[in-house]
Amino acid sequence: MIAIPYLTALTTYFSYGLLFAFGQIRDLFRKVLDWCRSNNLQGYAPICLGLEDFYVRRLYLRIQDCFGRPIASAPDAWFDVVERQSNDNNKTLKRTEKITRCLNLGSYNYLGFAAADEYCTPRAIETLKKFSPSTCSTRVDGGTLTLHNELEEFVAKFVGKPAAVVFGMGYVTNSAILPVLIGKGGLIISDSLNHNSIVNGARGSGATIRVFQHNTPSHLEEVLREQIAEGQPRTHRPWKKIIVVVEGIYSMEGELCKLPEIVAICKKYKAYTYLDEAHSIGAVGKSGRGVCELLGVDTADVDIMMGTFTKSFGSCGGYIAGSKELIQYLKYTCPAHLYATSISPPAAQQIISSIKVILGEDGSSRGAQKLACIRENSNFFRSELQKMGFEVLGDNDSPVMPIMLYNPAKIPAFSRECLKQNVAVVTVAFPATPLLLARARICISASHTKEDLVKALEVISRVGDLVGIKYFPAEPKKEHQE
Amino acid sequence: MYVKAVPPTDLNKNTEWFTYPGVWTTYILILFSWLVVLCVFGCSPGMAWTILHLSHFLVTYHFFHWKKGTPFADDQGIYNGLTWWEQIDNGKQLTRNRKFLTVVPVVLYLIASHTTDYQNPMLFFNTLAVFVLVVAKFPNMHKVRIFGINADH
Repeated sequence: MIAIPYLTALTTYFSYGLLFAFGQIRDLFRKVLDWCRSNNLQGYAPICLGLEDFYVRRLYLRIQDCFGRPIASAPDAWFDVVERQSNDNNKTLKRTEKITRCLNLGSYNYLGFAAADEYCTPRAIETLKKFSPSTCSTRVDGGTLTLHNELEEFVAKFVGKPAAVVFGMGYVTNSAILPVLIGKGGLIISDSLNHNSIVNGARGSGATIRVFQHNTPSHLEEVLREQIAEGQPRTHRPWKKIIVVVEGIYSMEGELCKLPEIVAICKKYKAYTYLDEAHSIGAVGKSGRGVCELLGVDTADVDIMMGTFTKSFGSCGGYIAGSKELIQYLKYTCPAHLYATSISPPAAQQIISSIKVILGEDGSSRGAQKLACIRENSNFFRSELQKMGFEVLGDNDSPVMPIMLYNPAKIPAFSRECLKQNVAVVTVAFPATPLLLARARICISASHTKEDLVKALEVISRVGDLVGIKYFPAEPKKEHQE
Repeated sequence: MYVKAVPPTDLNKNTEWFTYPGVWTTYILILFSWLVVLCVFGCSPGMAWTILHLSHFLVTYHFFHWKKGTPFADDQGIYNGLTWWEQIDNGKQLTRNRKFLTVVPVVLYLIASHTTDYQNPMLFFNTLAVFVLVVAKFPNMHKVRIFGINADH
């Protein structure tokens, strides 16, 4: 539940209305001025109609310097951000030679594996020398190394399922698997705030898609009952298959999924459960096994578990874990397995090493330390921000914390002011989030030290006062006994 | 004073913002602020309300019933044949939002014609405006293109 101050909602609508009106007036002038100039299309159709890139041209380009900042080092707790400058009011940006060392509050570096690690990096380099950077083939042709089989066994053991299959890219895992699992005549019920890869995969599958209110199991039950009773559209035959797709941690909200209730409802109505653990695998749970461990759900109850290696493992790629028959079927049919190049060998080795570190199989307790560190860091940061009066979303223990900004003008203000003080944050606006609810998303890492967090809190507090985003009253500081 | 924002189940980002709290108030406040601007110009209240009504007609007709599609390319053009009015609330007719948006031009018309004492020619333009707007919002006019005006290529 997000509580917006009513006045802020009104001013946000008004600001967007103003931006929209200015954009339309500028477009009108551009059309009038270009009336005389002949176009050089030579009979070809224009690539895009003027309407569909209105948002990009008139709203996004104005604050383009807050997005897509290039970095010049590994995304560790501190990293180098390349400065860019613009001569034509942000329409084009040029990279300069200057770099600034900034505190990294935006990378998905939950366990600190993004930078050189004492156990993982030597092994990754060894694998690079032995196996070379690319397998130069698909899995079925000649691209299955012993490394891939080892990786799949490891992932299956880590996640707690009988078998797993890995792919080279996380986004592709969702968008190529869903069309294979379900087709026309099936029903996909997905959470309203699911990631674009799931939406893409669901649209590509040809199944009917229904959406239920974010994280509301009662609404899921309502939608299930209605859809099962009605059957397929127009023919009213029973559905061939129903899959309910939810995420472990929602990346824009920082909320954990209400998994026990959702799994119970799916079992009651005999629907399959697909859990996307992109942000939660490795980052939550006592031994890092994700949201199932944290919420006490038996992994045998979730039919398909999906995850990516980009967030907590410092690598790239995605996996699907399930029963042996399911994985065997996927290996025969999934286009990402049959036609896409297999996961790069050093990346695979990085995943294996990082899983070993997390489980403690490398002989040290660094994995447990990292997990405890990220939990403490997230809880500390979140409670401090809330004490200062910011509106922070997300549950306890979740390393993702969005700070609500709401007004469109506060997005570039917050971003640029923080960068001036050497803190790099990621701000998200429409259309990735709903129109009203623009936010700055902070991702805490296990490699952030206490000093880093304190510095970040100071900077954010100062910028927050300047920009005016402390929507809740701050808690009074306790008087120190001296 | 805080309001709760519940994310709706509308996948169309172009119209989903209309279901959040505060939209109706903002709409009415914008109309009133334009009235203030017009009064500053020193015309009679009748003329001010008429100008407000007619400009409201032009703006809302253009953006609700003429422009089709969405201003961003994320949804790959699924709504390219639908105007904003046809996209709102996922195409469901007679929802609260739709009823509110139908009532506003009628209320403006009543106030405008009252303050001009029902004189011609203002009455003619006002009546034409409200007629076009209300007919465009009927449930039967969903996806109807009269004489092929504004139809897809």
